[in-house]
Amino acid sequence: MISRTNARLAALALLIIFSSTVAVLLARQFNLTPDRPAPAFRTFGPADAPVRIYEYTDFACPACRHAAGKIDELLKVYSGGLQVSFKHYPLLSIHPWSLHAAAYADCAGRQGRFMEYAHLLFEGQSEWGEAKALPRQFEDYAKKLGLDWDKMQACSEDPETLHALQLDISEADMKGVDATPTFFINGKRAVGSGQLLDQAQKFDALLRKGASR
Amino acid sequence: MNPDKPVMARLGLLARLAVGGLFVYAGLMKTLAPAEEFGYAIEGYKVLNSQLSLYAAYVLPWLELWSGLMLCAGIFTRLNALFAGALLVLFEGLLGQALLRGLPVTSCGCFGSSGGNSLAREFFQNLFFLALAWLAYKKGSYGSADRYVEGL
Repeated sequence: MISRTNARLAALALLIIFSSTVAVLLARQFNLTPDRPAPAFRTFGPADAPVRIYEYTDFACPACRHAAGKIDELLKVYSGGLQVSFKHYPLLSIHPWSLHAAAYADCAGRQGRFMEYAHLLFEGQSEWGEAKALPRQFEDYAKKLGLDWDKMQACSEDPETLHALQLDISEADMKGVDATPTFFINGKRAVGSGQLLDQAQKFDALLRKGASR
Repeated sequence: MNPDKPVMARLGLLARLAVGGLFVYAGLMKTLAPAEEFGYAIEGYKVLNSQLSLYAAYVLPWLELWSGLMLCAGIFTRLNALFAGALLVLFEGLLGQALLRGLPVTSCGCFGSSGGNSLAREFFQNLFFLALAWLAYKKGSYGSADRYVEGL
């Protein structure tokens, strides 16, 4: 028979297990987790910027295309005060080529042209987003930017590339991201460019201070 | 506490807190990161395939966290010290075989994405913590919940 002492200790153990589990799950949901850095080629702005934005994006999502313009503007206006890192969150159930696009964008990034390739993907998303077969635009954009397409193809099939994408997706799932674009501005969540600009206003003083350095 | 050996009792408490703290930190860093990240690190040791590595990555950090917390609080102290010691022996086995095989493991995966030491350094550090786990097992009851509940 279980002694009274052991029963009390078991109750304490269960209490600790339950409360620590809830605490971790809440920390994940409220983004109190350590920041996992994005690769350098997906990060723009100074490392010591007082405001840091992580954007979870999908190249086939129209709202992300709209947000990309806003991010460009913010980077121009607050150049010294803002750092933006892109993370991939392809919504595969509705955008069949998003994962490919993300992989190619990363591979373009390894050749130093992530942002330019991303812009072309956003601009042409209506052309390749609904394609029935692997869109030829991925290659066209690469050639337009003078990238080595053979290298890009090899890179897009590299397990390391897919692993990096998988980690972004898992991290987003863990943080409860379920729509794109989702931003974390110094840890504060914003969904869509409207909320992004609202949040950015709250950091206006910091952004201006950083920009004037 | 045995009045003639207060130093050992306090050392036991410190050992318990050190091993427990290490496990809490390691568990937290990994439970607050995507499991795939730790799974990938486990895969690097070339002992489990990717699917099993992922299952291990889902379970192991929680066990570390819970066991570490219970060790700190002194709940079922001997059992948790034994469990922590067994996990450390398992980690030593993984690290040792990776060292012997010269596997190109760049990050031990011990503390999630916050980085870790080199395999050799981690191996020797774990030996130290293994000794502390043994001390916590033998002399870790001072200031423990076990003692408190027994006295109720």
